[in-house]
Amino acid sequence: MNALTKGLMMKDKAARKIKINILRFDPNIPNDRPRIDMFELEEAPGMTLFIALNDIREHHDASLKFDFVCRAGICGSCSMLINGRPGLACRTLTSTMEPEIMLAPLPLFELIGDLSVYTGNWMRGLNERLETWIHTQEEVDVERLEERMEPELAEEIYELDRCIECGCCVAGCGTIQMREEFVGAVGLNKIARYRLDPRDKRDDDDYYELVGDEDGVFGCMTLLGCEDVCPKELPLQSKIAYLRRKMVEVGLNKKD
Amino acid sequence: MKVTYTDVLVIGGGLAGLRTATGVKERGHDVILLTLVPPKRSHSAAAQGGMQASLGNSVMGRGDNEDVHFEDTIKGSDWGADQKVARMFVNTAPKAIRELAAWGVPWNRVKKGGRQAIINAEKVTITEEEDAHGLITARDFGGTKKWRTCYTSDGTGHSMLYAVDNKVHEQGIEVRERMEAIALIHENDRCYGAVVRNLMTGELVAYIAKATTIATGGYGRIYSVSTNAVICQGTGQAIALETGVATLGNMEAIQFHPTAIVPVGILTTEGCRGDGGVLRDVDGYRFMPDYEPEKKELASRDVVSRRMTEHMRKGKGVPSRYGDHLWLDITILGRKHIEKNLREVKEICENFLGIDPAEEWIPVRPTQHYSMGGIRTDHRGESQTLKGLYSVGEAACWDLHGFNRLGGNSVSETVVAGMLVSEYISDFCESEESAINVSTSVIEAALKCEQDKLDRLINNKDGEDTYVLRRAMEKIMMEKVGIFRNGKDLKEAVDELEQLIFRSHNIEVTRSKSLAANPALVNAYRTQMMLKVALTVAYGALLRTESRGAHSREDFPERNDKEWLNRTIMRWKDPDMTMPTVSYEDIEVEEMELPPGFRGYGKDMTIHHPKTEERQAMVDTMRLQTEEEGLDRIEVQRTLMPYSELLPEKYQGRNERLDERFDDER
Amino acid sequence: MKHDRLHKSVDAYLKLHNSSTPARLDFVQSVTGFILALFIMGHILFEATILISKDAMYAMTRFFEGYYFFGETYPGIISFLAAAIFIILIVHTLAALRKFPSNYRQYSIFRKHSAEFRHNDTTLWLWQVITGFMMFFLASVHLYMMMTNPGDIGPFASADRIVSGWMWPLYLVLLISVVLHTFIGLYRLALKWGWFEGKKPKESRKVMKKIMIAAIVFYIGIGLAALGAYIVIGIEHSDKVGARYHPTEGGQQ
Ligand SMILES: Cc1cc2nc3c(=O)[nH]c(=O)nc-3n(C[C@H](O)[C@H](O)[C@H](O)COP(=O)(O)OP(=O)(O)OC[C@H]3O[C@@H](n4cnc5c(N)ncnc54)[C@H](O)[C@@H]3O)c2cc1C
Ligand code: HEM
Ligand code: HEM
Ligand code: SF4
Ligand code: F3S
Ligand code: FES
Repeated sequence: MNALTKGLMMKDKAARKIKINILRFDPNIPNDRPRIDMFELEEAPGMTLFIALNDIREHHDASLKFDFVCRAGICGSCSMLINGRPGLACRTLTSTMEPEIMLAPLPLFELIGDLSVYTGNWMRGLNERLETWIHTQEEVDVERLEERMEPELAEEIYELDRCIECGCCVAGCGTIQMREEFVGAVGLNKIARYRLDPRDKRDDDDYYELVGDEDGVFGCMTLLGCEDVCPKELPLQSKIAYLRRKMVEVGLNKKD
Repeated sequence: MKVTYTDVLVIGGGLAGLRTATGVKERGHDVILLTLVPPKRSHSAAAQGGMQASLGNSVMGRGDNEDVHFEDTIKGSDWGADQKVARMFVNTAPKAIRELAAWGVPWNRVKKGGRQAIINAEKVTITEEEDAHGLITARDFGGTKKWRTCYTSDGTGHSMLYAVDNKVHEQGIEVRERMEAIALIHENDRCYGAVVRNLMTGELVAYIAKATTIATGGYGRIYSVSTNAVICQGTGQAIALETGVATLGNMEAIQFHPTAIVPVGILTTEGCRGDGGVLRDVDGYRFMPDYEPEKKELASRDVVSRRMTEHMRKGKGVPSRYGDHLWLDITILGRKHIEKNLREVKEICENFLGIDPAEEWIPVRPTQHYSMGGIRTDHRGESQTLKGLYSVGEAACWDLHGFNRLGGNSVSETVVAGMLVSEYISDFCESEESAINVSTSVIEAALKCEQDKLDRLINNKDGEDTYVLRRAMEKIMMEKVGIFRNGKDLKEAVDELEQLIFRSHNIEVTRSKSLAANPALVNAYRTQMMLKVALTVAYGALLRTESRGAHSREDFPERNDKEWLNRTIMRWKDPDMTMPTVSYEDIEVEEMELPPGFRGYGKDMTIHHPKTEERQAMVDTMRLQTEEEGLDRIEVQRTLMPYSELLPEKYQGRNERLDERFDDER
Repeated sequence: MKHDRLHKSVDAYLKLHNSSTPARLDFVQSVTGFILALFIMGHILFEATILISKDAMYAMTRFFEGYYFFGETYPGIISFLAAAIFIILIVHTLAALRKFPSNYRQYSIFRKHSAEFRHNDTTLWLWQVITGFMMFFLASVHLYMMMTNPGDIGPFASADRIVSGWMWPLYLVLLISVVLHTFIGLYRLALKWGWFEGKKPKESRKVMKKIMIAAIVFYIGIGLAALGAYIVIGIEHSDKVGARYHPTEGGQQ
């Protein structure tokens, strides 16, 4: 079977009309009120929400705010609520959805306007709070052979390093909606990543100081929204569980 | 008037900008980094393939060293590169990767023992040495003699970017996101900072610094289809150009990748073809063997891109709403192979095309991929004409890549340039020259000038629609300044772009009149900038009547060292002019360690430089002599083309390898 | 601001350490939840012995009253057991209370989130909170009764309480609540601590969810049947309320 005979052909078949509803609000405009704007467009083969939204901006409303950078599902800029579910707009094909689509900005994050939210700022705060960098006092001599690492371990670390800070797991977590101080799956995953990394010399007591409380791993109520929406399919559930076991161990052996 | 002072201003939060910032911070200077998007969202994250550094750990990379890397790079550049810069680069790349390893990049490692691999569509077993176990491994990449491309699975750029940004966190460097530099502030050929627009509030702020660094990446988005992120719009090059003082180099050198998917232009790896995938046309016919009977689909990047374009021009493309394309057929590889070895391609097909590549063909076409040209700097990353202005990474042309970049050399370049240039910047900041002598009136005038421009755009009535101009530009670039170029098309392109620039003075920001977060306004002023950048590309291409590297003229198919062994230098002297002024900077054959030769693809059609032969003979005798004297390869190199004192002292040292252990280890 | 120990800044010496309490609470919550779950799984089965026969239920009662160990019945054992369970329940509740929405604002945020998100496991948690909240009252009543009137257990006594004492509506609600709460709780417990993850946690989770649903159906089924049986007995026995059951000839003494 080949694609020539199948429907994929970029030649237009009877194109569907799709309706895109967008929750709009610009906090910079005094007296602006949240509203829903509906845009109707003709669906094209291979149309993603990236294409659709740019089409709207080009042909319907040049003021529509949204964020795309890589448009390839790698940078984490374009997360939004797509029919109520957090996801990356750039890799969502309109053809996989009903013809009526509802888009809204991610909750919790600072709203810049319309679909654009300031996830970057939030993530910066998180990274600073959890000190997500290699802690060591060893100086590297860059002229010498690098330190060795088991190949499997390197791959395991990379599995967790793949997080793109898109914020979907945050938007999909009921706990953090209620308690904004919670670090969320993204934060816990980062701790799990550094914990795995032999180059980081922090030990479990140090990590306990970072996530051994209700804002950290003990705040997680295992709702698993994070696990189910993470576009990178990170093993969040199992890593949070692992971290919880380790942190309970520290906690139970603690004096105070 | 809002003014912020700092020692070093870094514009751009990709790998290059971040690494520069950490370097100057390390030396004790204050630094502020501005970026359009959070640094971790920069385009550097998109690099999947890997980073070149001659570690020589894997068996397939054993015997690799700076010399081999150097030769690959220079050949790749079609002798357009600055050989001293290339030397500095290859010597620092291993240091860069080792530093990154210490900063947390989970580089894939060598695993001792045998493993299966596919090389040229054949299954082979590679057996890794015991002594290399656990060291950083490498994969094969186009145009390299050794396996030299280090990687972290399919997310090399991502991991590198995250590690460096985390370092920036650790150092407490001030990063200001969603800030766009829209003009440089300069006086008496000295750069003092930039006028910066806050993309959320629309506020303009002047950032005044001793040294200003542009690390804004490439300008791929002047083309309608590009593998680049949508923010790779060349505004960094544009603001440099608009000073009228700083220059741009080799803007016409643009690399195309053969197989990006249609419509969105996302890259599918060369591995598809490497493993045996084929290209088909509208009739389902495999056309590559007709053009390249020997290498077929596996000819080099630029060749395949050209052949595909040629074939589509013959009307054999598949028409679509998004323009013509061809098919990449990997169904023949079988589902098992695809799911195991081409997982990432499969995911791209599913997510962005909604197809199953094991069943269906992938719509692809050659797509703009990389900008070799950029802000012209010397080997220290400083503009040759505007003091205090530095540039690093894809934004710059210091000139490592010449007319064609080697895959994997680019992320490597960003970090190396950051390491080196941050040292030179620090030296500059510690010198008396760096005193800030800019008058307030100049700052004020710069701010006012930009504010006026924005106000004009907002208040203009009955003007041009930005999108119309933008799309026209993209189309011109794609069709007339694309993979194949010829005098007639290029002339038209230049004329049409000039017209567009003229029209762009009259852009009207329709429908949205806010001065704050207003995408329509942003699009308007960026389009004005992009048009100028596009014109430098088209104009440079028109004037360069030869084919070199990625610049391929149908009407001048030979590489002409006699007349064109030089760099194109562009300057935009007067903001009201609609054309740049052009000059050329010779690349001196007399100083080359590797005199121009044959790159090794197709027929050798080089018109040689008169001095080439002489230089080659000289190099040969010097090499022979020094080798007879028993000098080692590094000493031999030093006699051919000394460069090491150009490097900052801390990076002058040798690199240890398994085959070249330092003495105390033996 | 938190700093790790490698940062030898002043704050590092001055900072407040994370206390061990959250770890202990989380642990205690799970342990008590687990004990309660085991108890309930047994409880409902034991008490469903009425479905076999009145004698079986009677024997069961006597078993718990210690008859087979001591040759006599000591209802005090039941009181003691009830009190122990009560304490565990209170500890569990106190630990779990941390997770409750602490005010209406939080509750409504969660409700809205879960309604829009339509995500199964999030909704399940909401059910767990609601059922937990209901049990807080219903189970207390029930346990208080068991503690104070430990002797009033048996095929007739129980049936009378259910029908003539108008306990059946309470039990009905309690049954559904406790079964949902227990098995959602166990499912969540496994995921929370990473039990039975295997090589493919995503697959394991699907299997666990299936088991959870099966268990809920099974236990509610058994519970309803038992409740029905008590109701039938209770109606038949409604004119003799207070009279005790005496095992049939073949039954054990
Ligand atoms: C799909 C793809 C795959 C690639 N794969 C590889 C590979 O495998 N190996 C390899 O070596 N290379 C690869 N490359 C090339 C490589 O990724 C880039 O050349 C390199 O990452 C560029 O880094 P940079 O730091 O110079 O710029 P970027 O990463 O593009 O960063 C630019 C920064 O500048 C900021 N900026 C831009 N304009 C302004 C402004 N006006 N004001 C303020 N800030 C601004 C942006 O916000 C951004 O932070 C690939 C490229 C693509 C497109
Ligand atoms: C017989 C009665 C009960 C049983 C068998 C039971 C069982 C469980 C179990 C097994 C868990 C999972 C443990 C964990 O997540 O750590 C749990 C959690 C929970 N229980 Fe109970 N429980 C009972 C009563 C109650 C009561 C009376 C309340 C509240 C008033 C309550 C509130 C909760 C809450 C809110 C959770 C969720 C905690 C979380 O998500 O972290 N439970 N219960
Ligand atoms: C030690 C403590 C307990 C004892 C001795 C006990 C005993 C009993 C008995 C004898 C019955 C039969 C009806 C009756 O006599 O009223 C019963 C029913 C029931 N109990 Fe308990 N119980 C205890 C704890 C609990 C707890 C903690 C819960 C739940 C939170 C619970 C939930 C129920 C339910 C739901 C029923 C009705 C069963 C059905 O519908 O089949 N019990 N219990
Ligand atoms: S963990 Fe997943 S969902 Fe969360 S930020 Fe990272 S990539 Fe996004
Ligand atoms: S959704 Fe939230 S509660 Fe935990 S399991 Fe995920 S972080
Ligand atoms: S735009 Fe980068 S992930 Fe969607």
